[in-house]
Amino acid sequence: MRFGALLVGIAALYALPLCGLSEYWMTVAVTACAFAVLSQGLNLVYGYGGLLSLAQVTFWGLGAYAAALLAMELGWSPWATLPVAGLVAVLAGLGVGYASLRLSRHSFAIVSLVLALLVQLVARDWQSLTRGPLGIPGLPTLRIGDVEFASAARFYWPMLSFALVALAVIWRVMRSRIGRLLLAIRQNEALAGSHGIDALAHRLLAIGLSALLSGVAGGLFAFKLTIVDPSVLDFYYTESMLIMVIIGGPGSFWGVTIAAVVFTVVPELLRLSSELRMVLYGAVLVGAMMVMPAGFGGLVVRYREKRWRARLA
Amino acid sequence: MTFGYLLTLLVNGLVIGAFYALLAMGLSLIFGVLEIVNFAHGEFYMLGALAALLAINYLHLGYWTTIVTVTLAGACVGWLFHRALLGGLAGHSFERSLLLTLGLGMVLQNGALYIFTATPQIVRTQFGMSSILLVDVRLTWVRLFALVWAAVGLIGLYLLLYRTRIGQAMRAVAENREAALIVGIRPERVARLAVMAGIALCFMSGAALAPVYVVTPTMGLIFAFKSFAIVVIGGFGSIGGAALAALSLGVIEALVGGTMSLVLADAVAFVAMILVLLFRPLGLFGTGVRI
Amino acid sequence: MTLLRVERLRKTYLGVKALDDVSFTVAAGEIAGLIGPNGSGKSTTIDCLSAFQRADAGRWHLGGIELTGRAPYAIARLGLTRTFQAVRCYDALSLIDNLTCATEARHAVGWRDAFFATARLRAHEDAARTRAAELLDLVGLTRYAEAPAGILSYGQRKLLALAGALMTEPKIILLDEPVAGVNPTMIRLIEQAIGRINQAGIALLIVEHNVEFIMALCRRVIVLDAGRLLAEGPPAIIRDDPRVLEAYMGGAPDDIGAEALA
Repeated sequence: MRFGALLVGIAALYALPLCGLSEYWMTVAVTACAFAVLSQGLNLVYGYGGLLSLAQVTFWGLGAYAAALLAMELGWSPWATLPVAGLVAVLAGLGVGYASLRLSRHSFAIVSLVLALLVQLVARDWQSLTRGPLGIPGLPTLRIGDVEFASAARFYWPMLSFALVALAVIWRVMRSRIGRLLLAIRQNEALAGSHGIDALAHRLLAIGLSALLSGVAGGLFAFKLTIVDPSVLDFYYTESMLIMVIIGGPGSFWGVTIAAVVFTVVPELLRLSSELRMVLYGAVLVGAMMVMPAGFGGLVVRYREKRWRARLA
Repeated sequence: MTFGYLLTLLVNGLVIGAFYALLAMGLSLIFGVLEIVNFAHGEFYMLGALAALLAINYLHLGYWTTIVTVTLAGACVGWLFHRALLGGLAGHSFERSLLLTLGLGMVLQNGALYIFTATPQIVRTQFGMSSILLVDVRLTWVRLFALVWAAVGLIGLYLLLYRTRIGQAMRAVAENREAALIVGIRPERVARLAVMAGIALCFMSGAALAPVYVVTPTMGLIFAFKSFAIVVIGGFGSIGGAALAALSLGVIEALVGGTMSLVLADAVAFVAMILVLLFRPLGLFGTGVRI
Repeated sequence: MTLLRVERLRKTYLGVKALDDVSFTVAAGEIAGLIGPNGSGKSTTIDCLSAFQRADAGRWHLGGIELTGRAPYAIARLGLTRTFQAVRCYDALSLIDNLTCATEARHAVGWRDAFFATARLRAHEDAARTRAAELLDLVGLTRYAEAPAGILSYGQRKLLALAGALMTEPKIILLDEPVAGVNPTMIRLIEQAIGRINQAGIALLIVEHNVEFIMALCRRVIVLDAGRLLAEGPPAIIRDDPRVLEAYMGGAPDDIGAEALA
């Protein structure tokens, strides 16, 4: 029955462009798909792996730049650039993950931040490679045969399809034994070690997978924007992702999915300037950490414990 | 490539390195005493610069008055920061304090962007662009004074940590928290002062460097990310290590940037950090404190 | 037959020699105790042997295989596991899940199997859940099987931790103060559980302040003092050894050990 509801929901999502929404709102829909993938990636790494990663946007941005450069410098077809975009992102993720996780998850957080800021600076300043602040314009659009996915309404379908596959993969990992072991590592890393669980390997898997999906998403998005410039690495993405995961609940697949959609659509409805939006997000983060640090997920855990205690009394 | 040019690079590197040191040492101190990595550190530096901009350009306060006032303001902000936000966090999960300080940084940076816009602004001190020729190096007065302020900050921090009772307490807590508690050190007081000192140093650094470069609300993150790398390189809990690493980084960055490329200069911090993590994970001067 | 051989273990911490050339052995199937006054290096020994702290020098072997320098999870996979003084559990996971995670030590499941839920994975999970249920029964926690571990009392968590150690199918378990802070009824339960574990052929090295507990349970006792090996032998001999009495008397007056030996 639940599976049936899911199918209906997916069909409805595919039918969205047929509702006659404006180009603006279809772009919002495309962005919502992207954020769903990015924030679920962060959810996997943080909510399951216990690693606060501030470099998800960097994987996305590296994917975008890799795809753009391959298409423009080497003339590759857009579809062909996507796997490489993902690969570049994975290598970056595994690199910093391996270097920092041998020390601690705290150094991973710091290293991920430093990487994010560094790549931003490099994208802006390494003009000979990245064309600097003006970016790489004139990217080709995605096409299959004669069908060109140029408009937002058209582009929505490949983006949605990718997002659904990516989310399905992440969901499956979370539900599997891999997800359970990640949770164990997150809750008590030392205990997991004494049980023979290779924490580093599992965490690298989570990082690699989320980097791969973010990188491919970034590459896809590049061919929607048809221009890639340093703004694709903006800290704004990280800040939004954090809000989506913290409010949705770290470790909660549906919570984060809903939060991703809500926090993409609602700010557009409210027409807040991006600075005010970030001030608000920052204030929400501070407030949440003071009052409800475990998020809604933490409340659920406490509630479950209460139910069990009552049941067993 | 004249000797004068190289010497100029060296001096500029020392100036920047000295301020990297002040920020990194503040970070290290706050971490050592509270076990919190302050992700808003760069934004406090930015606030110091903004305050100096307002004081000099709009309130027409003199250069010296401004720097002193801004530093004191920093201490007050630090007190408030600890009182309102950090006090209850000590000992709690690392992620919680990370997200809290990150959120605060977001509020400060974007609030400043909203109010002042991203347009870079120049601080017009009474010294303007006039400079002095020392040995073979042409130094603007503001850059020379910045170096003086950095020295003041470093000496002041040294005196605090090594010549006062409370500074000794800070070092004790940073090195071995349980032992310090047993001998009767009150962590609250120590923590409050450590935060005040760290933030005051951020404000002072921002104010001193504001006339040397330009002021823009995004200057905080870009400057601070070097400080995070430095703390990893120097080793968590090693305040002296942070200073050494910072000065070295400043000089190397200046030399690389002046002779090769600016992009490579920015990358030095990152590459050094990764190398340290791969080969000496506890840091070059790490005390063996694993976080 | 020697199972665990420890040679010249050394650990310096903040200038103090926590362990100074400590060597000893544990035979297969033996219950050995490790006692000593406060600060003698007992917990540090367990931490170093299980690689939760890095030893500065020394080597140790399990059944002939060298464990020195390996990561904690690798050591667990080779058959040496441990419990923690501040008892650890996966609080948000059910008791059954707490235990099924621990099979990684012996039967690590490949990621492809896990992701695609292959027949091999399902067989593994079934076997793991059955074994977990058995162990919960052994320690008397069956009624909490599906409840999150966070609701357990302190003593119950200690029992769960023991069950978790058993799931790894170890050759030897290092117990770090298994009855610290536990009420007398629970002490009896833990003692019985340890007895049953040993009957199954698993060796145990128990670190404890509660010297009475050690003397009753262990066939051989190793005594540390200020990081050095002081004495070792059967409980009766250790009890009367003047050097051991001296070490405890000279130590903290409220050490439980001193009373037990007097």
